[in-house]
Amino acid sequence: MPIKILDRLEEIFIALLMASATLITFIAVVHRYLASSDLPIESVQDWLVQLDLSWAQELTIILFVWMAKFGAAYGVRTGIHVGVDVLINRLGDQKRRFFILFGLFAGALFTAAIGTLGAHFVWGNGAHYAWLSWQGLDIGDVPEGPVTPDLEWPTWVVYLAIPLGSFLMCFRFLQVAWHFYGSGDLPHHDHGFVLGNTDGSNDDMHPKDMKGAK
Amino acid sequence: MSTLIIFVLLVALMLTGMPISISLGLTVLTFLYVLTDVPVEAVALKLFTGIEKFEIMAIPFFILAGNLLTHGGVAKRMIRFATSLVGHWHGGLGLGAVLACALFAAVSGSSPATVVAIGSIMLPAMLKAGYPMRFGAGVVASSGALGILIPPSIVMVMYAVSTDSSIGALFMAGVIPGLILAGMLLFTTWYRARKAGYPREPRASWRERFIAFRESIWGLLLIVVVMGGIYSGLFTPTEAAAMSAVYAFIVVVFVYKDLSLKDIPKVLLSSANMSAMLLYIITNAVLFSFLLTYENIPQAAAEWMLTAGLGVIGFLLAVNLLLLLMGNFMEPSSIILITAPILFPIAMKLGIDPIHFGIMIVVNMEIGMITPPVGLNLYVASGISKLGLTEMSVAVVPWLLTMLVFLMLITYVPEISLWLPRTLGMLS
Repeated sequence: MPIKILDRLEEIFIALLMASATLITFIAVVHRYLASSDLPIESVQDWLVQLDLSWAQELTIILFVWMAKFGAAYGVRTGIHVGVDVLINRLGDQKRRFFILFGLFAGALFTAAIGTLGAHFVWGNGAHYAWLSWQGLDIGDVPEGPVTPDLEWPTWVVYLAIPLGSFLMCFRFLQVAWHFYGSGDLPHHDHGFVLGNTDGSNDDMHPKDMKGAK
Repeated sequence: MSTLIIFVLLVALMLTGMPISISLGLTVLTFLYVLTDVPVEAVALKLFTGIEKFEIMAIPFFILAGNLLTHGGVAKRMIRFATSLVGHWHGGLGLGAVLACALFAAVSGSSPATVVAIGSIMLPAMLKAGYPMRFGAGVVASSGALGILIPPSIVMVMYAVSTDSSIGALFMAGVIPGLILAGMLLFTTWYRARKAGYPREPRASWRERFIAFRESIWGLLLIVVVMGGIYSGLFTPTEAAAMSAVYAFIVVVFVYKDLSLKDIPKVLLSSANMSAMLLYIITNAVLFSFLLTYENIPQAAAEWMLTAGLGVIGFLLAVNLLLLLMGNFMEPSSIILITAPILFPIAMKLGIDPIHFGIMIVVNMEIGMITPPVGLNLYVASGISKLGLTEMSVAVVPWLLTMLVFLMLITYVPEISLWLPRTLGMLS
């Protein structure tokens, strides 16, 4: 049950990131043209001119980086990540099963490594400082860490996407591996999904699962 | 030596079927950890800075715009308009399909999306009119490849990002080759249809054509928004992509009313899913190209190529063969991200124009999408037509040959690609 809630939150989160990045970029462009053109109503014009949206670009990037990290984790669950499966799809069931599990564990290993590296980086670039000052402890020579150029947000908060997203992705790899181990099913992404055709994947960019295997 | 280790490791990992992004990342981590004393912090830093470029963000925006248009009825109206123009010739519906693919390609940046949008409507219609399924599926799968040549194009953004080229110039450079290829595909379709005696549609009157045009005008205006916006300097390519997503949303939900507001979250989620997959490959490809640069591989390859005395003609031929071969096993974005860091410096040393080189790579990718075993268009078209992959591969052969001729043309006549951006003053 808690996993279902996590699934749902993940979906809502990345869809929202996508929507807000689009809106922000749209508003920034419209604003730029309205503010530089002559509007009949002076007060509106003045208000537009003082409104500073120079941070929009930076925020869009941050939103998309977060979307990319969490979306990549979601992608493991939907089976969208493409690979070269020409070879293993021609192997016997036993061997294919081995390679699929190998691939999933390699994914888990890589994302765990990146998550750990990312966590170290975040900790050393301001998270440690923030923790100490929040606790009212002696800061010593722990660096405060840089801030982003336009929004002036602490970069470690922005970069938190890397460890959080990577560990979530690691969890997803293990989850898919566990499910595959038990049932032989893999998630499949269907590139023609608008049509609602439900044929199995045969594109050799995703591994064939064990449906129909003995 | 290290070059050999890196590529053997990469290929071995990829052949186990794990995601390409993971194979790239694991290769880098393993190599750096085992064989060098590069501080791993360097890797961490690259991970953060890998996709922090505003230009890259054009990709998710174009995907969102494309998804909105595919789900909505923009394609249906474009098909009606295209068929009213060319339907009365031999193989009318086939010609209509090629032209509709070209029109849809001008608002969408992806080939499979073009195949889905046009094919799902056109294939049943062609079957009903008495065309063999093979012919229809072949036409749609191959003309769908126009999606990445006619701007906007996600694959071009990938190339621009990994070589620091101008997205605007690449888009402009794709226009004339796109029109020529559309013309060549139309000719092949017409020729085959005339020989086989496929049906013609009744000639549409100018009044009917005008009505069909007016119906599809909202979709066609998107071409003006993107290309006009970028050319006039009104928007950067990324902004143009965002504008086209918002525009597509308004057209699909409020003008044509093909989607309702409650369908939007699903479209957002599937767009985010696809974008995140591509962005994740980019992140890891950035790591990989960092490793290549660190090991001086691009420079070594360039020097080797120059001392081997392979001239421009030989080099371009070799690149075409390599890319066509890779196109059989991988999808375009990964190929470009992996090969561009190595091929691009060589091309520059040989004095090849970066924009011309980019267009040539894109055409190679188009061909890769309709050659087995990994051809996304074949796969999508086989999903619609229920033809097997082998049968699909045979079905596209006439158009595949056309595209190979076109590839030679693009490779050895740079002016086809360069004339328009140069005339518009977008090349230095």
